[in-house]
Amino acid sequence: MGRKIILGLLGLGLWLALLTGCGRSEPEATLKVLAGSELQDMAPVLRDLESTTGVRLAMEYTGSLDGAERLAGGEKVDLAWFSHGKYLTLLAGSRIAAQEKIMLSPVVLGVRESRARAWGWIDNPNLTWRDIAAKAASGELRYAMTDPASSNTGFTALIGLASAFSGRGEALQPEAIDAVALKSFFTGQALTAGSSGWLAERYVQEQDRLDGMINYESVLLGLNAGGQLREKLTLVYPREGIVTADYPLMLLNPAQRTAYQTVVDYLRQPDIQRRIMEQTLRRPAVAAVPPDGRFPDRLLVEAPFPGNRDVIDRLLFAYLDEQRRPGHALFVLDVSGSMKGEGIEQLKTALLNLAGADQSLSGRFARFRGRERITFLPFSSNVLPAQNFQVGDTATEGSDMRAIRQAVTALQVGGKTALFSALQRAYEIGGQAQVTEPNRYYSIVLMSDGQSNQGLSEAEFLQWHRNLPASTQNIRVFPVLFAEADDASMKRLAEATGGRVFDGRSESLSQVFKAIRGYQ
Amino acid sequence: MRRWLGPLLGILLLGGIGVGIYFSAQEQNQVTQQQLLERRQVLARGVIGSEKEDFFRDAKVIEALRQRGLTVTVEKAGSRQIANLPTLEQYDFAFPAGLPGAEKIRRERRARSAYTPFFTPMVVASWRPIAEILERNGLARQADRYYFLNMKKLVDLMNAGKRWNDLDHNEAYAVGKSILISSTDVRKSNSAAMYLALFSFIVNGDAVVQSEEQICRIYPAFRDIFLRQGFTEYSSEAPFEDYQVMGMGKSPLVIIYESQFLQLAAQGRLRSEMVLLYPEPTIYTKHVLIAFTEAGQRLGEALETDPALRRLAVEYGFRNPDIVYFREFASQHQVPIADTLVNVVEPPTYEIIEMMIASIEASLDRNLSDPLAHCGQRNL
Repeated sequence: MGRKIILGLLGLGLWLALLTGCGRSEPEATLKVLAGSELQDMAPVLRDLESTTGVRLAMEYTGSLDGAERLAGGEKVDLAWFSHGKYLTLLAGSRIAAQEKIMLSPVVLGVRESRARAWGWIDNPNLTWRDIAAKAASGELRYAMTDPASSNTGFTALIGLASAFSGRGEALQPEAIDAVALKSFFTGQALTAGSSGWLAERYVQEQDRLDGMINYESVLLGLNAGGQLREKLTLVYPREGIVTADYPLMLLNPAQRTAYQTVVDYLRQPDIQRRIMEQTLRRPAVAAVPPDGRFPDRLLVEAPFPGNRDVIDRLLFAYLDEQRRPGHALFVLDVSGSMKGEGIEQLKTALLNLAGADQSLSGRFARFRGRERITFLPFSSNVLPAQNFQVGDTATEGSDMRAIRQAVTALQVGGKTALFSALQRAYEIGGQAQVTEPNRYYSIVLMSDGQSNQGLSEAEFLQWHRNLPASTQNIRVFPVLFAEADDASMKRLAEATGGRVFDGRSESLSQVFKAIRGYQ
Repeated sequence: MRRWLGPLLGILLLGGIGVGIYFSAQEQNQVTQQQLLERRQVLARGVIGSEKEDFFRDAKVIEALRQRGLTVTVEKAGSRQIANLPTLEQYDFAFPAGLPGAEKIRRERRARSAYTPFFTPMVVASWRPIAEILERNGLARQADRYYFLNMKKLVDLMNAGKRWNDLDHNEAYAVGKSILISSTDVRKSNSAAMYLALFSFIVNGDAVVQSEEQICRIYPAFRDIFLRQGFTEYSSEAPFEDYQVMGMGKSPLVIIYESQFLQLAAQGRLRSEMVLLYPEPTIYTKHVLIAFTEAGQRLGEALETDPALRRLAVEYGFRNPDIVYFREFASQHQVPIADTLVNVVEPPTYEIIEMMIASIEASLDRNLSDPLAHCGQRNL
């Protein structure tokens, strides 16, 4: 009888537990968020946000310019969360119903300690961006910086630099852009990328041939604490000022205002601000939590951010067409029989978009740029003749873009896949071009839908590649995975050359080729 | 053992239930009082300037309103944005900052009545080293622990394009930034519009701007103090937050409401190097509540007349007829404030302010045409 009562009580307990709900299984609200990819490190905080408040943030990560463009185009999301909201506000301000800063990180330059010491840059309050530009122009400072048209750190750095070089100490006006100073600064850009995270990874791999990197203070402090660097990076905060990313959480769907406020209140409370600072090395956005001892305690002069979108677009196009080191982009293109139909059509569309067909804002930034050299190297059973273009005019209906579009349209499919022979040829072309034009930024895009079954083998190619002169060997390969491509082999290629694999299966080739432009 | 365990548990369980019933019956009496109050509650939904958000989210304010039968929910927006909200009349009330915005709403919407429960002067938040540089250059004078800022001299420096490192004794702030006052986005927010009103008074030779001809005379000076700042934010709390978080490197001088500074002091978050500069002359921001419904009217009346709510408003740094408590509150939190401001100017009319703002708006958006394009460029 006793057992029965005990069982009965247990049953009662279980029933009561079910009634009151002992665990939260479903969130009370789910908000769709378009977010910058560097916010992936907030995942642990967001998990606790959900278990404490019942609000789940369904994050979709994307590049900042891409995100800004999607939002300006009216995409339906509840919130947007990027490293800064100023460009988005200028682009689509009327869509933003509310915004609150969540954390801060200035974009600064980290320089190898030995260099910083030799140049007298450590704790030097008089250091200016012009001093830094002089070292870049003389070839002593080779740094990594992302592409301003694809990634926020490069974008922010460009704004800060242009504002510093204008010498005006106030918002940049078009007539105050000092193109000469910018150009000399960018001669030192030895590595570009479409993402700040990838840039930092490559910096670690290539730290011996680079002298510094422009990135978020949080990323640079993280690298210094992480133990992967043979030499620490000295963070420099030049006198004319820097630009700080302030990560505003933006409400786009006013119907979700209550849930939005819950999220903001949670993230901005002192305990969570402290936790964010400890885990991500970003500075708190509330005055109640002062930055801890890991952050340099000094006057951070903030450069003004332009209030006018035209100025910003002008800066970006001038960087791409006039100021950056001009690129030479080699496209190794599979036109074997298996590409027939869908494959070749996608490829043609992707290339036509880069040659002026894509009129969107990001499409215009991704377009082949003024001064750039383009080489198309199609291959099937044999390596087909290379087609070279030198871009002068970037206008859609200009003769340069037209010539490229004609060549794309004329691509024909048929035959086998001599992939490594074609890649070898691309390196030969690049190597020859380097002799006359050593200052260009070289890169190879390798697009194939299958395994190599003709000509050189992978092993033969890699053997050959190892014996190239260092400058040619360092040309990066960006393979695009498509259809039956050999993923493992493509990954090995990217690794061996310091490149990056792009997935053309989950995204269209157009999107992939656009993204790769940030790495060229 | 098992034989007595069962009955014992049964007794305990019954006892527990009995105790539970007893206590919940006790609570019942209190609950009914509360329930009566709840049943009388009227919901008032409103849209407000961000500077009053903390006030409405304060538990004491919520309780004081509840005692008067009001449950208030607020959404915040820039004060000029409020005036332009297409759905504004669906709210019970609008509570922007500043007369010009309120005036626009009163003219264009079917408002039942308007209340002015509190006001606050425009001030400049700054830092001790900056104030000292200004003082040594004859731009400010210290009084108690705050300063008076000579607006005429400062405006002359700004218009001449001077920078901080052009001043004498600038060691503490020898940076190349232009001397400018940071404000909000004048297209969206009242505090920037008040700054524009004050600035226009000074460059107009100490007279309220009253005609298009007079605007032409101060064009484009009134525009450039905003354009030269670059990107500005939509609400008054953002630049003040930047002031607190990012410090002197971002914001040497920020135009804010005095109430914001007092509120910070009342929360004990004022740091010793933060100082208040009173512009001479200055201008008041009146906080006007425009009621669209009876619930809105009840809120307006409560804020104007309820002694508890009036004191709470003071605790958020606003000034109202209860000047005795205002003084008491400021001294209690050791915030030195100038309690009698004699040199106060009036804003221009709504049309004049709007014309100047429309001109600034046009210079930031190539799709708009500048209503003052015919004025031509002049130097002051």
